[in-house]
Amino acid sequence: MVRRPYRPGKFLVLVVMAVAGCVLFCGLAAAADPAHGQDRSADLRDLLYRFINFTLLVIILFVVLKKVGIRQFFVSRTEEIKKKLEELRSGKEEAERKYRELEQRLQEFESKKQEIIEQFKAEGLAEKEKIVNEAQSRVKQILEQAEATVQQEIQAARDRLRGDVLTLATRQAEEIIAREMTEKDQDRLVNDFIERVGKGH
Amino acid sequence: MITSKVSKRYAKALLSLGKEDGKYQQYGEDLRSFASFYTENKEFAQSVSNPVFSLEDRKRILNFVLGKASYAETVKNFLNLLLDKNRIDAVPGIYAYYEKLTDEVANIARAEVITPGPLGEEAKKRLEKVLESLTSRQVKMATREDKALIGGIVVKIGDLVLDGSVKAQLMGLKESLKRGEYR
Repeated sequence: MVRRPYRPGKFLVLVVMAVAGCVLFCGLAAAADPAHGQDRSADLRDLLYRFINFTLLVIILFVVLKKVGIRQFFVSRTEEIKKKLEELRSGKEEAERKYRELEQRLQEFESKKQEIIEQFKAEGLAEKEKIVNEAQSRVKQILEQAEATVQQEIQAARDRLRGDVLTLATRQAEEIIAREMTEKDQDRLVNDFIERVGKGH
Repeated sequence: MITSKVSKRYAKALLSLGKEDGKYQQYGEDLRSFASFYTENKEFAQSVSNPVFSLEDRKRILNFVLGKASYAETVKNFLNLLLDKNRIDAVPGIYAYYEKLTDEVANIARAEVITPGPLGEEAKKRLEKVLESLTSRQVKMATREDKALIGGIVVKIGDLVLDGSVKAQLMGLKESLKRGEYR
């Protein structure tokens, strides 16, 4: 579709003419109203002044706007908006591209996630097995140590008991021998000692 | 008794004098007599060894005692020398070491014999003879009684200990049983 170029001067003249025609038509109709029978020439004059005033305002406005380059302003504004739209479009495309990238990475991560979970599971199982083995060997070691300690304690108790029994037996023997020992026994012991020392030499 | 270096030095000096004039045994007897008098009479020992009293007074006391005894002149001079040198309190130690030295010179071994009761004279003589042949020295025995031995006899000569007591035999038996040698 071919768009006609925008021409604000022509459009403004048409508007002014249409408004002036309407005002004149309405004024003439009111002045020719016979029902009231009053003189409305003063009103018509006032209306004419107002119309002239309005027309002058429109013309001045038109001239001023043309001088300041309102058209150029709107054209540049349009271009700017177009450019902005273009930038927004390219930004949107960039954002969409990034979104797609992120989506792809997310998918990759999802697939990797499973792999990582599997790997961690395997490592966890290996660690668990290692800990269990260590605990079992430690338990075995503790049991062996406990067994050795028990055996040592039993042996020590046995030795202590034997020592106590022997001490008591020795004491009893000493008492009995001391009670039963005679001078004859003492002489015999001394003689045996002298004999042994003599033979030893 | 712990014999100090000083005591050993004085004992050796007196012995060398005794050996020169051949009277070392008499000197030993005199020294023994004075050492036992010095040990038994604490007041005398205090009087002659305490430096609070003047040396002249202490000498007068010592010489008064020595005048009553029939000690050899050398021994008297020796004791005066000890007083001069403030070593009179070392007399017991000097005698102990002098006795050891004279025993060595005279080839004498001193034996301590311990029994639970009195030892008969005949047994003493036989034991002395056996010990003399064992040590190849003349043996001088000192006997002592100790009921704890229960029976038998213990003889100590220097570092050698011969234990023939019932007590020792019972201890030996106890140790053997403890080691499980009679299972």
